[in-house]
Amino acid sequence: MMQKEAYLQESTRRWKDSIAHYLNFDIWKYERTLKKLNREGLFLFAFFLVLALFPSLFAPYSPTERFISYESPSIAHLLGTNDIGNDILSELVYGTRISMMVGFASACISTLIGLMIGLCSGYFRGTLDELLMGFTDVVLTIPKIPLIIILGAFLHPSIWTLILVLGLLSWESIARVVRSKTLQIREAGYVKSARCMGFSSFHIMRSEIFPNLTHVLLPKFMLATASAMISEASLSFLGLGDISMKSWGIMLSFAFSRGGFIRDMGWWYIPPGVCITLCVMSIALIGFGFEERDKERGNRGVDAE
Amino acid sequence: MGLIAKNLARTYRTGLWKEKCIFRGVTFELKSGKTFGLMGPSGEGKSTLGRIVAGLEKPTEGTVCFNGKPLSGMKKAEYAAFRRSVQMMFQDPTEAFNPRKRIEQSIFEVLNLLKTPETEHALRTKKMLETVGLSEELLFRYPSQLSGGQLQRLALGRILLLEPEYIVLDEPTSALDVSVQAQVLHLLKRVQAEQKIGYLLISHDEAVVHFMADSYGIIKNGQLNITDA
Repeated sequence: MMQKEAYLQESTRRWKDSIAHYLNFDIWKYERTLKKLNREGLFLFAFFLVLALFPSLFAPYSPTERFISYESPSIAHLLGTNDIGNDILSELVYGTRISMMVGFASACISTLIGLMIGLCSGYFRGTLDELLMGFTDVVLTIPKIPLIIILGAFLHPSIWTLILVLGLLSWESIARVVRSKTLQIREAGYVKSARCMGFSSFHIMRSEIFPNLTHVLLPKFMLATASAMISEASLSFLGLGDISMKSWGIMLSFAFSRGGFIRDMGWWYIPPGVCITLCVMSIALIGFGFEERDKERGNRGVDAE
Repeated sequence: MGLIAKNLARTYRTGLWKEKCIFRGVTFELKSGKTFGLMGPSGEGKSTLGRIVAGLEKPTEGTVCFNGKPLSGMKKAEYAAFRRSVQMMFQDPTEAFNPRKRIEQSIFEVLNLLKTPETEHALRTKKMLETVGLSEELLFRYPSQLSGGQLQRLALGRILLLEPEYIVLDEPTSALDVSVQAQVLHLLKRVQAEQKIGYLLISHDEAVVHFMADSYGIIKNGQLNITDA
């Protein structure tokens, strides 16, 4: 038995070594860094991701199926039913996808805008830099939530406007980080020699600078996702969300406005709150993990990589 | 003909009304197949002068002329030719290649820039590696897996792919230890003899300049004094 175990361990080690050898891909290094990322965060996030991707596997009923309203938790309905008799657990599971989609989609938009603006102003410097950074400062001073509330009131409240507005208003910190990193990288020898050899600015930005920005972009992207999810939840709670797409924030809002709090139905309003907290926390933890890794690498210097 | 620096001056703004002049009235000429050494204490603007000659920065006054034409006011095609003909090699070999790319990728990009057909990539790379005396196995590594001397030679090899007429060498050996220094300097000399490249060698090491240069200048207090070796 012992021998067999030892053999199995040895064979997996060999297998990984051969992959590392043939693909020139250092698996052991990645395993070590993966351990350093916050494990709990990764597990939680994986759990929510599976929920979001395959809700039908976990939800006992369809979210639109109707039963007796205001039921307490029972075996048939683990978290009871709401005011119109939908199963709350099913609603919760299907809500994952919407909440996470809003978070990731708006973080994608904001990261993309931040990357463009930061790269351009950091690489070209001069007047363009002054203009773009001035614009960034102006956007930075706009109070987000009040503006979104006003926009939400004027525009038709839908999930897409929410994604767009959240994405368009949260790129400034990313732009600044990208700009400062770009300013640093553009002085490196390989960028200067690429300029000397006559590569186009676009090529230099895309192929020389961008690959070296990923480790500052990833944590920023994760944190932007987390904050977009929180913003979405708070806006939905205020009634500015899309009622046709039930996210966790909308569930909370309905629990508040349709008698969940008055009837003291903790099983209605606590689970979405807990889910929002845990999901945001897991994403933030992963983001912090990336940042931590980046810092460690900074301390060790390039040679130790 | 050649690469001529005329009356170059560079000033930095240190305050709203204050300006600091680093050098003024610097004039020299680079001839093909010859080496011009540039010495001087640190902070006297040797590297800045090198970058200006290589066209990476603009001088406050004066002009750099390439084949009789000033850099500012060049047509696009002329500038592209200049860009190809005048290259620069930097001090820190660890920074010479993008740490996220394999050496092979960094070199193939240059070949793509030169519009070399892909079938010839391997051949030209092999030739280049032979010139600088490195084995092909290095191509599949990342820059952090190579030594300073290897990287500096690769950097030179990559520059040579462009077949330049002039190379600005910004302290090419000061980050290397003595034995590797000698190797790189001999390599530079050999390449110069074979391809008739003109060097502008920036260094604070007198021995290096005396070994390499046909004539040299010393920057001191913002002035350049030229001596024939």
